[in-house]
Amino acid sequence: MKVEEIDVAEQMGEVGRILREYDRKKGILIHALLAIQEDHGYLPEDVLRKLSKKLDLPLAEIYSVASFYKQFHFTPRGRKVVRVCLGTACYVRGAKKVLSTLEERFNIKVGETTEDLAMTLETVGCIGCCGLAPVATVNEDVVGEIGLKKLDRLIKTIG
Amino acid sequence: MADIVGLTIDDKEVQAPEGMNLIDAAELAGVHIPNLCYLKGMKGIGACRLCLIEIEGLKAPMIACNTKVKEGMVINTKTEKVLEIRKFVIDLILSMHPLDCMTCTKAGVCRLQQYAYDFGIKESSFTRKRFGYPADEANPFIKRDPEYCIICGKCVHICKAQGTSVLDFMGRGVEAKVITANDRPLQESGCTFCGSCVDVCPVNALLEADRWRKGREWEYEKVNSVCLLCGNGCEITVSTKEGSIQKINAGAAEGSAERYICAYGRFGFDCIEAETRLTHPMKRINGELKETTWEDALRTVADKLKRSGKDVGFISVAGIVNEDALVLKKFVKDVVKTENVNTTMSLYADSDSLRKSHTADIDDADLVFLVGLSPSQRERILPALDAAIRKKVNRGLKLVVINSSEAKIAEASTISLKGDEVSNLKAIVRVLIDKGFKADKEIESSVKDAEVSEDIEKAASLFAEAKEPLIFSSPSLFWASANISLLKGKIISVALESNARGVALMGLTTEGKTYKEMVGTAESKEQSAQSGVKVLYAVGEVPLNKRPDGIDFLIVQNSHLTELAQQADVILPSATFLESAGTIIDYMGRLKYLPQIIEPQGASKSHRDIFIHLSKIIGSPLKRPAEAEVKKATRVKTKLSFSPFVKKEGFDISPSELIDSINASVINGSRLLWLKEIERAMAV
Repeated sequence: MKVEEIDVAEQMGEVGRILREYDRKKGILIHALLAIQEDHGYLPEDVLRKLSKKLDLPLAEIYSVASFYKQFHFTPRGRKVVRVCLGTACYVRGAKKVLSTLEERFNIKVGETTEDLAMTLETVGCIGCCGLAPVATVNEDVVGEIGLKKLDRLIKTIG
Repeated sequence: MADIVGLTIDDKEVQAPEGMNLIDAAELAGVHIPNLCYLKGMKGIGACRLCLIEIEGLKAPMIACNTKVKEGMVINTKTEKVLEIRKFVIDLILSMHPLDCMTCTKAGVCRLQQYAYDFGIKESSFTRKRFGYPADEANPFIKRDPEYCIICGKCVHICKAQGTSVLDFMGRGVEAKVITANDRPLQESGCTFCGSCVDVCPVNALLEADRWRKGREWEYEKVNSVCLLCGNGCEITVSTKEGSIQKINAGAAEGSAERYICAYGRFGFDCIEAETRLTHPMKRINGELKETTWEDALRTVADKLKRSGKDVGFISVAGIVNEDALVLKKFVKDVVKTENVNTTMSLYADSDSLRKSHTADIDDADLVFLVGLSPSQRERILPALDAAIRKKVNRGLKLVVINSSEAKIAEASTISLKGDEVSNLKAIVRVLIDKGFKADKEIESSVKDAEVSEDIEKAASLFAEAKEPLIFSSPSLFWASANISLLKGKIISVALESNARGVALMGLTTEGKTYKEMVGTAESKEQSAQSGVKVLYAVGEVPLNKRPDGIDFLIVQNSHLTELAQQADVILPSATFLESAGTIIDYMGRLKYLPQIIEPQGASKSHRDIFIHLSKIIGSPLKRPAEAEVKKATRVKTKLSFSPFVKKEGFDISPSELIDSINASVINGSRLLWLKEIERAMAV
């Protein structure tokens, strides 16, 4: 979605008709941020600048709102987002080892993205399948019972 | 007037106006309720939880910053319960704050230090937690150090309220931090470096960049004065140490919408000691400017003036104090005996509009009509007016912008009327007459053909409903706008220089040759033209870079060596406004007093002392003007009457060019030059 094409009135629907123009524009902010992130994978500064003009909102305020939510990212994301579970069960079954191996192999730290944008490495609290510990998620998929072999395969699929 | 309610605070009976919050009400009773995030004049946000107090009859403590007074309320601000909470809050904040008060610049004025002292907390009982966020020290004005920040949000709120909006919070919880957009350095964020954030920061997170080990607050002598760099004439508080200026802060009352100064007013004082500062009189000998004595310089000038009489012309800026203006006028008329004196005011205003303006206070207004004006903090055109209006809009003021060109401030308006100003003014008057406002026949007949639109109707309704409407008008539209003020409210003609109104009242107005005639009506700055006088005497930093053709002798009396001064035959060094005492009448019609804050640099003297000295040599000595003389000159009847709906022509000078031109030495001789270069680079 292009920022220029955001139709403030339409996206707000019935509620938009009641609200003053200014509130209408403010109200659509998170909507717009989600759409931008979907397109770009993150929130690029130049796009936010355009959004700031379009919605008459200070750029600093847009950054403030976006940074409140962990869901929004300000730097490009990897094509694969790997989240290593550090919940109790996984921890006990060697999640730390999984994590440090990934860090070493890709030469990045938790929270970082590889230079070629192949992968972003993150951790997660618990994803609710402790029976498969240790687990990690790759984008939407769950990889369970990670041993040495599985870890190698995982690394290979990432590239 | 708001109704008065009676309440009890810590066993003291207090009378407070309805709608007032408890922090302000307690202050009336002489009780200080601790707070870190409350900004007087703005809505309390209850972020710091320090102002919790107990109200009898209520179970839980309430925040005083956002609780309004009620008749019969009984409040206790120092119960065991709230003291315990406050102590806990300070304890928590200290766990994330450096404990280096011994070298901290803010020691003595730090609120956190004060409250920690009050509770006897040496260090936090919690584990220390620091994030190690780096400081932003990439500019010469403001240092931002997140390590000291207590996230009170005052800087964010003041920045937003005045419409600059470059600061905001990032993240949440303990990791929260005050940032610019994408955490860029200030100069890349659209910051105007007004320093309002520095004024409100209760700790050491925001500070003037040059303060490290340059003295702390208790070492300073503080004097209130007025900034004379532009038409706003803002109140300032000047801190000096050992006879030199250390810093300048906003000086208007806390809570007033006018509590604001721009980067020029706050940081321009460096220029006092700039390389270009004139400390000795100079005289052209064999084609070269050489330092000389006052005696010699004045004798040369006196001689020239005496012989040339009517061929002498005086041009002056309108940023000189009343006393200088009075003496200049007498010097011209009674000593040199010519009519040729005029000021830069004539470039943007007719003096009558300034003389006939009302006296007003923007803090009292509930509606502002802004006619033909484009105040801008970013361009520093009447920046304080821009900030004050935006702050007032946040507090409920209605704003109607009437401007034929694009005005940035229209973004804060309730209604923005574009198109020809005069037609819009007429239409508003017409609607008001239809609504039953009584007006002269002349007015009625001149507006009967005016076209009315929906927005005009709305603007007129706002005016009809307002209790204290205030019209700010550009001088050229003053007379047309004044017709509205005949129905209700007040009107101010807004000039571009600090004492334009005072200069008009002191009678320094066009009588002989005009300013333009004396400097030649050159089309561009580079091109010179024939002047109407033989000897030109320029007072202050006039917006003129080239010696006009036809001038036999040029005298420049200014504080700095300008381009024009380099072409002069005699240069007389004058004191800056921080170095000589005087009064001005600001654009709102208020008499403001400027004390002498520091000694003039070198041998420089005040304008009036130079004129008085010259008058003695010429043989008709002048006296220093008495206070009563100034006061008498300010007493003018401001009764307005109908004037035709027209825009006065001939005042088309670019405001930003004029303001930068009369402040060229301030800008070039201070760290503002850095800012100007950055702004130029960003604009490309």
